[in-house]
Amino acid sequence: MIRETSALTVRELKHWYRIKIQMFMTLIQPIVWLGLFGQAFNFGAFIPPEQIPIYFAGAPDYFSFLAVGMLGVITLFTCMFGGISLIWDRRFGFLTKLRVAPIPRGSVPVSRISSTMVRALFQAVIVFLIALGFNYIPGLTGLTVGSSFNALDLIGLFVTLALLALGFAGIFISIGLLVENQETMFALVNLLNLPIMFASAALFPLAQMPTWLQTVAKYNPLTWAVDAARVFVFQNPNPIHPVWWSMTALALFAVLMIGVSVYAARKKLSAT
Amino acid sequence: MAAIIEVKDLVKVFDKTIRAVDGINFEVQEGEIFGFLGPNGAGKSTTINMLVTLLKPTSGTALIMGHDVAKEPDKIRHIIGLVPQDLTVDDDLSGRENMILQSDLYNVPKQEAKERIDNLLGLVKLEDAADRMVKTYSGGMRKRLELAEGLIHRPSILFLDEPTLGLDIQTRSTMWAHIKELKEKHDMTVFMTTHYLDEADSLCDRIGIIDHGRIMALDAPSTLKKSLGGDVLQITVGGDKDFTTILSAVANVVEVKKEGSEYRVKVLKGEREMSHVLKSISDNGGEVSSVSLQRPNLDQVFLEYTGKSLRDAEQSGSMDRGQRMAQAHQSRRRQ
Repeated sequence: MIRETSALTVRELKHWYRIKIQMFMTLIQPIVWLGLFGQAFNFGAFIPPEQIPIYFAGAPDYFSFLAVGMLGVITLFTCMFGGISLIWDRRFGFLTKLRVAPIPRGSVPVSRISSTMVRALFQAVIVFLIALGFNYIPGLTGLTVGSSFNALDLIGLFVTLALLALGFAGIFISIGLLVENQETMFALVNLLNLPIMFASAALFPLAQMPTWLQTVAKYNPLTWAVDAARVFVFQNPNPIHPVWWSMTALALFAVLMIGVSVYAARKKLSAT
Repeated sequence: MAAIIEVKDLVKVFDKTIRAVDGINFEVQEGEIFGFLGPNGAGKSTTINMLVTLLKPTSGTALIMGHDVAKEPDKIRHIIGLVPQDLTVDDDLSGRENMILQSDLYNVPKQEAKERIDNLLGLVKLEDAADRMVKTYSGGMRKRLELAEGLIHRPSILFLDEPTLGLDIQTRSTMWAHIKELKEKHDMTVFMTTHYLDEADSLCDRIGIIDHGRIMALDAPSTLKKSLGGDVLQITVGGDKDFTTILSAVANVVEVKKEGSEYRVKVLKGEREMSHVLKSISDNGGEVSSVSLQRPNLDQVFLEYTGKSLRDAEQSGSMDRGQRMAQAHQSRRRQ
């Protein structure tokens, strides 16, 4: 169980770091996002300076608010690609090899979820460092962390993102297992991705949204993650949910989605 | 020798209407190379996929070393190796990395895996290319790597689904040599499918001729050829006159079949009797426009048992399949 799962995880990671263009895109994408949107949408300009932290979850400016949200968004996107890679493996026959092998069916999604989580965390670290680095580039706003931000907060931040990655990877890998047709897969992924991103606190504060959207966004795992993350990074005194609540919800979400993916693998990778 | 594969009344129906495998029965003995010969769409791959636990039989049973494919897939996966028709090797890993991954999937002890990988890569002559990415491999190299992967856990039975499909003639004969070597060295049972007659003839101890999901004949290639009961004279005669009765009366002629102006005359000792056969036609006012003598080969066996040559079956087979698909589609729409 452990040997085949780790072997498959390593295989996934090799695919990732060997493909140079993919590595390049991994790095360039967050720079573009933070550089363009983060700098362009300076919503903080409309608000009296002393009220900015109240509007933006304790962040001293909109860029800092967005940078932490972006850690969650980049996790979402990485997980989406984790699901799509399964479609290619089905197409190119690799999945047949796994179906004939004497391995628990669940090792297929579990290995993918773990490799996707590693990728997502790696990307998040890069985004975090780039956002901090912007402080040293003249003319750009950078990420300013709260005054008492420490190592424990840093660990809390990445544990939060890891739980989010497990859950989202579970969703997209389950979809990849259940939907065998690649066009349907792309359509579904697009259908899910944008609403998850926009109906959350990742890009914009919840309080400024219409009530119905707030209700939806409150139960979006991406909101739980960025909400908790902003408590860790900015010591936000007024989070949407208490940190313990968000973390527990994320952990349950992760366990549930891993369970769903294992179930889907048992259904779809056995003899038909 | 004991039966290592036992198949009883095996049926696979797709989409409720397409009977890809239509009630087949056979046994494969331990240590033999058993081949399924038939045109595309005859049900060869469907059978193999049921035996290797990729497909569930609609009805009937298949036992591999006493284990039911439908009930104990995990037991079976440990004792079989599969070289599938479509490649499953990973392009973005090196040949050796593919082998290591395979050894991890089959839980081969790490120490032993290293040695086996070297041996197997040597066996399929890939030792020099072992550390190159598989995407730089040729089609034949990939197929050989696939074969080596199928052997990593020393399976008792190796399944080869069209092992030489799409390979050039030289690579094909290398594959044949590998397969023969395996059987001799490791006393392995091999179950293979092919639509190449020469492949079935030169490799297989026994073959099953399969068409439209049914086994039409099953025996050793030499016995099947012998069962034809003689050589075949293929004669084309001009004019409308029917020579069937005249030909049947000639000594040593076993059977006469007429297809248009063409006669297939089955005759014992073909070379010697040819002149008598031809004389009987000219004596009765017929004009022979062409004649050929055919020694028994598997193509004739195929013709004998399915009523069409393998090449014709290939074409009509695919048409039948298309028609069946269309029917299935229509019936679905009607519902």
